[in-house]
Amino acid sequence: MKTLRLSNFGLRGFVGESLTPSVALDYVSAFAAYIERGRVLLGRDPRASSPMLHAAAVAALMSAGCEIEDFGVCPTPILQFYAPRRAAAGAISISGAHHAVGWNTLMLVGPDGGPLDPAVGEQVLDGFHAGAFADCDARFIGMRREVRDYADSYFDTLAQLVDAEAIRAARYRIIADPAGGAGCAFLEPWARRFGVDLITVNGDPTPFPARDPEPRPRTARSIASLMRPLGAAAGFVFSSDMGRVSLVTEKGEPLSEEMTFALIADHILRHRPGPVVTNCCTTRAIDDLAARYGALLIKTPVGQAHVIAALRDEAAILGGEGSGSAALAAFSLGFDGFLVMTLVLESLAQSGATLSERARTLPRYAIVKRSVPCGPGEGYRAIERVRAKIERETSDRWDETDGLRVDDEDGWVHVRASRTEPRVRVISEAHDRGVAEERAERWIHWMEIDS
Amino acid sequence: MKEPLKVGVAGVRGVVGASMTPRVAASFAQAFGVFLGRGAVVVGRDTRPSGVMFERAVVAGLQSVGARPLMVGVAPTPSLLMAVPTAGARGGIAITASHNGAEWNAMKFIDRDGLFLSPARADELLDLYHQRDFPLVAEPDLQPERPMEGVVEKHLTRVLNYVDAAAIRRRRFRVAVDACNGAGAPWIEVFLRDGLGCETVVIHGEPTGIFEREPEPLPAHLTALGRAVVEHRCNIGFAQDPDADRLAIVDECGRPIGEDYTLVFAVAQVLSAHSLGPVVVNLTASRAVDEIARAAGCPCIRTRVGEIHVSAAMVHHGAVVGGEHNGGVIVPAIHPCRDSFTGMALVLERMAATEKRVSEMRAEIPGYHVAKIKIPMALSETVAALRRLRKRYVDRHPILLDGIFLDLGESWVHIRRSMTEPVLRITAEALTPEEAEALVERFRTEIMVGPQPNGNV
Repeated sequence: MKTLRLSNFGLRGFVGESLTPSVALDYVSAFAAYIERGRVLLGRDPRASSPMLHAAAVAALMSAGCEIEDFGVCPTPILQFYAPRRAAAGAISISGAHHAVGWNTLMLVGPDGGPLDPAVGEQVLDGFHAGAFADCDARFIGMRREVRDYADSYFDTLAQLVDAEAIRAARYRIIADPAGGAGCAFLEPWARRFGVDLITVNGDPTPFPARDPEPRPRTARSIASLMRPLGAAAGFVFSSDMGRVSLVTEKGEPLSEEMTFALIADHILRHRPGPVVTNCCTTRAIDDLAARYGALLIKTPVGQAHVIAALRDEAAILGGEGSGSAALAAFSLGFDGFLVMTLVLESLAQSGATLSERARTLPRYAIVKRSVPCGPGEGYRAIERVRAKIERETSDRWDETDGLRVDDEDGWVHVRASRTEPRVRVISEAHDRGVAEERAERWIHWMEIDS
Repeated sequence: MKEPLKVGVAGVRGVVGASMTPRVAASFAQAFGVFLGRGAVVVGRDTRPSGVMFERAVVAGLQSVGARPLMVGVAPTPSLLMAVPTAGARGGIAITASHNGAEWNAMKFIDRDGLFLSPARADELLDLYHQRDFPLVAEPDLQPERPMEGVVEKHLTRVLNYVDAAAIRRRRFRVAVDACNGAGAPWIEVFLRDGLGCETVVIHGEPTGIFEREPEPLPAHLTALGRAVVEHRCNIGFAQDPDADRLAIVDECGRPIGEDYTLVFAVAQVLSAHSLGPVVVNLTASRAVDEIARAAGCPCIRTRVGEIHVSAAMVHHGAVVGGEHNGGVIVPAIHPCRDSFTGMALVLERMAATEKRVSEMRAEIPGYHVAKIKIPMALSETVAALRRLRKRYVDRHPILLDGIFLDLGESWVHIRRSMTEPVLRITAEALTPEEAEALVERFRTEIMVGPQPNGNV
């Protein structure tokens, strides 16, 4: 049984097992009871199960008397962008995001476009468990209105945020791979707005992701081989929801997804060294960059919800994660692949450098990510066993923001239990790949997971 | 619970937001999808605003168990019944509370033959619903919803092909219609004007589902239609219910003739102009039907009240016409379901054939006047009340097919519990309206207070 992950900010599960229309109805009903007949934006990706979950969400929202603005197939960041601008009480994005076939997520968004405030999320979760719904009688059933042609205004705002003229003048050719996801129909208008010569791979919406939807160097291979032959300046590999991006250089070199946020942080902080937020297992390059520009660095548990909460509450200017995502507080409280793509091109245009040259100026580490299957609930015990093995004298270098991380001068190792699957995730970073791998293996050995 | 969820042979029905919620609808759709096995399921609805919501819940429920929803949108219930065999679908769901008020909604389940589920099949569905263990399909096996076009047009074409449309057209009738803001509204003009050459005056013709009149087509609710008939000097007035399966008639003077007599006209017309054969009606239908059938030399078979009982018996007996007392006309050659469009076409055809006014046609069936009331009563109480009556009148040879039916010579009374509401229904037919009223009142008192000293019938 693939588990259901219910949290303050969303519902994630495996279709046909844990994620059923009944669970979706109950969860959205609990959210709608909190919204109290307000306006809710609704969007989805083209995954096969998204129309079913969309139908359940519409029914639950109508029953609670909410006013639905239906954005149809819409990237999550665009929905988040519009939540405050259309005076919505909240939004729901239905997307498989970076997950494999079978998984889907209902992500709850607050009125500011960020993930739901944790206290509000707790109230929603309480309502879900108690079955405390607010079904209206027939007179107050909510209405659904389809919203179309909203992309232009979004790209207008994005164009005002950056040096659009510089990007346009550079006349870049790029390759983008939206994985057949929610972003497909929006890439062409984006390219027109910024004068970019766009080549898409996996550019038609598909009910099943056209490739592994998690942006990683290995998923970037499809476009890596095209970069040189087509003379493209940059390659962008997106998740289905357009929240995450990994980059490919003009030479066809896939960059680690950790480099995405590092490049954005370098580009933003060099002009405006404000507070920056990232999670506790993102590359140390971010620490180095924050130090280089004298910016305050805030670390949070893993996940967009935590990073955005800190971005909002600590009045930071930039937030992002090593999974290849970034948000600019001045633009929107959502991890936004279009924003990342635009900022990368702005950075290239302003510096006059190529992407591989820009990447070389960044602090670079070897990072190793491992995912170890374990029995349900065993993950937390496995982490306990690691804790017991590590020498006591290192405890002043332990970080327990989310799981366990231990730093030394050469690098760090981080372990945490996945919230969506019975797995333990281990990340190890060092200057030398061999060292990073050796440390990751040692921690996995300490976990004593039978498999 | 104050507002019960009524789950039974007729489907599942409840008050929106109280007992009838998207969660109930999705679960029932899942149970129905499992019951039918994977394949296409026709989904349609009447115009109620809550129907859009239930339609979404039904789609989610059907998809989750691997069914393929065929979406008709707003359509009369008879059109949906016909669409199921036409599409080769495994079944269908009609989202409509029929004649119930706007605060209600319901789901009715259609079998692959285009009839509502039989009582035995409905029981199986209920078992599945209560077991709640729906085998869900994995994401790659989910079936997308698809639109189904032309459903109502095909239905209306069948009706127009059945009757002598040319004869009706020649008369250029002027017809007023009260569409009750329901599922018949979008097609009423197309049918009467384009199909049957009538001049039409339509009231309550916006298909908004916000009912401008009480949705049950009872005489008391048809005053606006009566005024429209008089004002526009129409030959006849027709009143539909929200899902367009029932039909009531107003005569050329604006007087409702009583929804019980729609069926009488239709039976007379089919037997005289189309074909001879068995007639099947429910117990409460006017006895004028028996007389017409007898005169034509055709057997008249009675069933319990409820469309599925009548339809199934019609198929079984090879009936040519029949229906229900409440304005539900059934012609199996078109489809064995209640259909207001069939009713309209047959009545107009009869007017054209006989060259009589509606009031004259009504006067030809003298000595039949119906009175009816309903008494709010819990289900358990109705059972006890009916048991007492059955005992008390055992020597009068009551028919016990559905509640109790007492043949009183020149009159009759039928007392039964509703399948859709917690009420006991009393219907009586007698030589004069006054006698019918008195009979109904007599039995109401008897049920509520006890046997009356001078109350022998």
